[in-house]
Amino acid sequence: MTHARLEFPYTRTTGPVIGALLTAIRDGRIVGSRIGGRVLCPPMEYDPVTADALVGGEPELVEIGPGGTVGPWTWVAHPTPKHPFDHPFAFALITLDGADTALVHAVDAGSIDAMTTGMRVQAQFAAEPRGAITDLWFVPEGHESPSGREPHGGDTPPVTSTEHLISLEITEPLLAHRVRFAQGLLDGKIIGQRSSASGMVFVPGRGYDNLERVLLTEADDVVCSDRGSVSAFTVITPVQYYGQQETEPYIRASILLDGADQALIGVDIRDIPVAEFRVGMRVQAVWRPEGERDVSELDNRWGGIWEHVIERWQPTGEPDADPRALEKYSF
Amino acid sequence: MNASTAHKRYVPARDVAIVATAQTPCSRSYADTEPSMIMRCVNSLLDDTGLQRSDLEFTIAGSCDYLSGMPFAFVSNIDGVGAWPPVYESHVEMDAAWALHEAWLRLQLGDIDVAIVIGSGKSSPGRPREVYALQTDPYTMAPLGLDTISLAGIQGRALLDAHVATEADFAEVVSRSRRSALANPNAQVARDDTIDALLAEPYFSAPLRRHDLPPISDGAAAVIIAAGDRARAITDGSTVGFSRPVWIRGMDHRIESHHPGLRDLTQSPSTERAAIEAGVHEGGIDVAELMVNYSPEEIVLRRALGFPSLATDDTDINPSGGPLAGHPVMATGLVRVIEVANRIGAGTAHRGVAHASSGPCLQQNLVCVLEGDR
Amino acid sequence: MARPCAVVGIGQTKYAKRLDVSLDGLVRIAALRALEDAGMTFADIDAIVIGKAPDALEGVMMPELSLADALGAVGKPIHRVHTAGSVGASTAITGVTLVESGRYDRVLVVCYEKQSEGNATWALSGGRSGGQGAGGSFAPWIRSYIQRSGAPEHIGWKVAVKDRLNALKNPYAHLHLPDISIEKVRESPMLWDPLHFLESCPSSDGAAAIVLACEDVARKAPQPPAWVIAHAKRTEFSSFPGRDTVRIVAGIDCAEALYRKAGITNPIEQIDCAELYVPFSWYEPMWLEGHLICPEGDGWKLTDAGDTEIGGRFPVNMSGGVLSSNAIGASGLIRCLEAANQVRGTAGDYQVDGARVALGHAYGGAAQYFAMWIVANELNPTYK
Repeated sequence: MTHARLEFPYTRTTGPVIGALLTAIRDGRIVGSRIGGRVLCPPMEYDPVTADALVGGEPELVEIGPGGTVGPWTWVAHPTPKHPFDHPFAFALITLDGADTALVHAVDAGSIDAMTTGMRVQAQFAAEPRGAITDLWFVPEGHESPSGREPHGGDTPPVTSTEHLISLEITEPLLAHRVRFAQGLLDGKIIGQRSSASGMVFVPGRGYDNLERVLLTEADDVVCSDRGSVSAFTVITPVQYYGQQETEPYIRASILLDGADQALIGVDIRDIPVAEFRVGMRVQAVWRPEGERDVSELDNRWGGIWEHVIERWQPTGEPDADPRALEKYSF
Repeated sequence: MNASTAHKRYVPARDVAIVATAQTPCSRSYADTEPSMIMRCVNSLLDDTGLQRSDLEFTIAGSCDYLSGMPFAFVSNIDGVGAWPPVYESHVEMDAAWALHEAWLRLQLGDIDVAIVIGSGKSSPGRPREVYALQTDPYTMAPLGLDTISLAGIQGRALLDAHVATEADFAEVVSRSRRSALANPNAQVARDDTIDALLAEPYFSAPLRRHDLPPISDGAAAVIIAAGDRARAITDGSTVGFSRPVWIRGMDHRIESHHPGLRDLTQSPSTERAAIEAGVHEGGIDVAELMVNYSPEEIVLRRALGFPSLATDDTDINPSGGPLAGHPVMATGLVRVIEVANRIGAGTAHRGVAHASSGPCLQQNLVCVLEGDR
Repeated sequence: MARPCAVVGIGQTKYAKRLDVSLDGLVRIAALRALEDAGMTFADIDAIVIGKAPDALEGVMMPELSLADALGAVGKPIHRVHTAGSVGASTAITGVTLVESGRYDRVLVVCYEKQSEGNATWALSGGRSGGQGAGGSFAPWIRSYIQRSGAPEHIGWKVAVKDRLNALKNPYAHLHLPDISIEKVRESPMLWDPLHFLESCPSSDGAAAIVLACEDVARKAPQPPAWVIAHAKRTEFSSFPGRDTVRIVAGIDCAEALYRKAGITNPIEQIDCAELYVPFSWYEPMWLEGHLICPEGDGWKLTDAGDTEIGGRFPVNMSGGVLSSNAIGASGLIRCLEAANQVRGTAGDYQVDGARVALGHAYGGAAQYFAMWIVANELNPTYK
């Protein structure tokens, strides 16, 4: 199985209305917006019926709750890691006292037996608020937690942004053509696929030939040369972002292996000086010793993990290949 | 509703028909890439129609990067679609039923006659429940991990509280769907369960039990549509595909508020409106395929579509088993169209309705009316 | 058969790091301005088309669902377009086809990006370390162009300066760099050889919107209509053996289809100005050639001669272009609506005198998605 995680801490600016709600919640209160004779929660920036802008631009905010009445609800018997509780709880539509519309939120009721439509609930506020909707939750009336915070005046600046860490786990079996490719790398071989329909050699094979739209099988596997020509490269000055581990400039190259029709892309080059590196340069793979080749990070998505199996690409000293002829094999 | 569109329903100037369909079987984990699933569908359509890739003048696909967990995953899907020589192409991050809607209107321009519509999704690598929570309002809902299963549970409870349905009604939907799926080679869940046996199962997200939820599926589907005489020419004498064009008589989609607190979850006014605009009630309905991702949704949709009162008594609802038997996300709605079209194309039904939805609690709904020549 | 369609309303936000608004608030600024320009309210709109890509930039999946209320879509159709960097122009074109089909009379098209919520390089790297960013992907192709064409290195710097000087005339532009100069561009850090920092687009937040309408509605609109007289899209694979990544076949095909539809036989003479998607300076000459506006090898000469400046023979990116504002999902729509601004005569300080026919363009992915339109001040323009 291969595992990957797509994760990023998004920072959302709230604008004045959601900001006012999150600020109030941070301070142990809940607000709604009075629009067209109704009090809406969550508050909205505009007329919910016509979507027109509000007269005067911003809604009248009114304090509601902290008590409320439960409408339809569900009992979450198997919470996900993204839910507010790691034990069973309810999601419910809750109409806060003073509001005309219901907010969807979580009720920490302990047991499904405590839940009924029409029951009364009370808001609870996080002792250490972080300026997010998760600073709030609900409990059945009479079950208020002593650790719940009392409302306070809000002497700190209003909430204008809220952070949301999104983290997705991706797990899947390595597909058959990738398993064979991985085994090849362990054996010191680069396995591609030759399409009999187009005659092209794709490397790494993708299990199909996109030009002729035919599926390729194990019978189409071919062992490619581990020697080739640089067909394109970029010198990367790393931009810093969440999860970025690179700090120093480095080269990313495309290499067209001899006999192949598609370049290896994204090949990491760390030990050939930038000034010497060029399109057309002839290079040869220097494999890591058998037993030190690691394909554990190979997945179904990305071209290769060359640096884990190939120690480096060494200039062969041969005369350069024609750069113009390599242009159409850059990507 | 907008007064300017409320008067008369749109009837297309040009007759456009589905002339061929393809789908992969739904599977819990499809052992190949998403482009390869698409490629199988595209090649199957070309084989069935005798058309060349270059005959397909407009291409449009629906898929979702978040399912595969890779931004720009839709770009590699093009490998399966075919784009050399370059093609006139578009992509929606919606169920491919919406891609069909765009393609149907695109053919109304009159300059091109044939289009291919593709939907694909591999839900197996990710955790769909966590992924789908990212559809919800990013300020007040998504940070709670508010998932579509929980929201469907709330909708189910709303039906119970309003005495519109019982848990046995939910189980009846599941039992019938799974039994129908026994005849569907593409179904993932097909079995004969009694209502009592289903009701004996524990709750997953009360009032929903695990069987009230769709399976996690990988799959792809595609159709070719063609205008007027071109549609007749493609189906004429076809030995493997449709023996007659399946005309799209009407299609419409509508959305509702994203905030459940601003909606009556026991109703689907967007489906009602789309059904009127699509002309559902202008004739008898032999077959209906509804995108029932969660069993309570069938109750809501039947009410919104006026079944069974307005339809003929023998309307066959979800004869394929529907999404409860196989849910290839991003293609699920298009598969509903395909299941209806297949029956009309084969001559076993004359007029039918396909429905697709998007968003939590049936927030957005599309209705399509299909009909064969007499 | 296709009905005529025109742009009757245009709205934009100020492009910047917009820490003052929610996503709802951001798209509403543009939508309400476009409606006001068209003399309409949300109630007049038959259907909404929304575009942006990819969702990972803000971490909101299928944002048409959570933005439906903010865009006045409740009870109406809302359709979501999702191509790559070309998405803004693709969305505009989808909106046009919905009107041309006869289905809807008034369509609101909205595109946006709020880059500040996430990180584009992260997203474009598939969330992995060691991403090379868009510039890193394009740099080798730009070097190939330079080698093929023999263009001198200052061409890229000239484009960077010209677009930033144009941006000074556009209040919505993100970058206002009054002291921009060739020297400043040349001395700015090298990001991806040969691209310097100042030859690259900024990260912007922003939204853009247009109202499209059928002929009857357009003739009664308060602003002069910008008639959409042709549109075209083409896509090719990102990667296949023998792919020319400099003179891209899909780009050529797209332009040919566009000009054929518009009846244009001599683009450089018959089109008065263009808004081209130029996120990195060198793409100005590359697209002038790659979309058949001039012969192969001549693009850089137009730039060098000042022909692409406002007042030149073929002005390009009068608004300051993507080099001055890049709210990615909106950038293609901005190109299209700025072309419309020119033929309506509503481009303010960056108006090209007498502009009658204008080109709007976007590309995306690995320079593999193309979407283009031609707008004119007349439904049936006569060409020079």
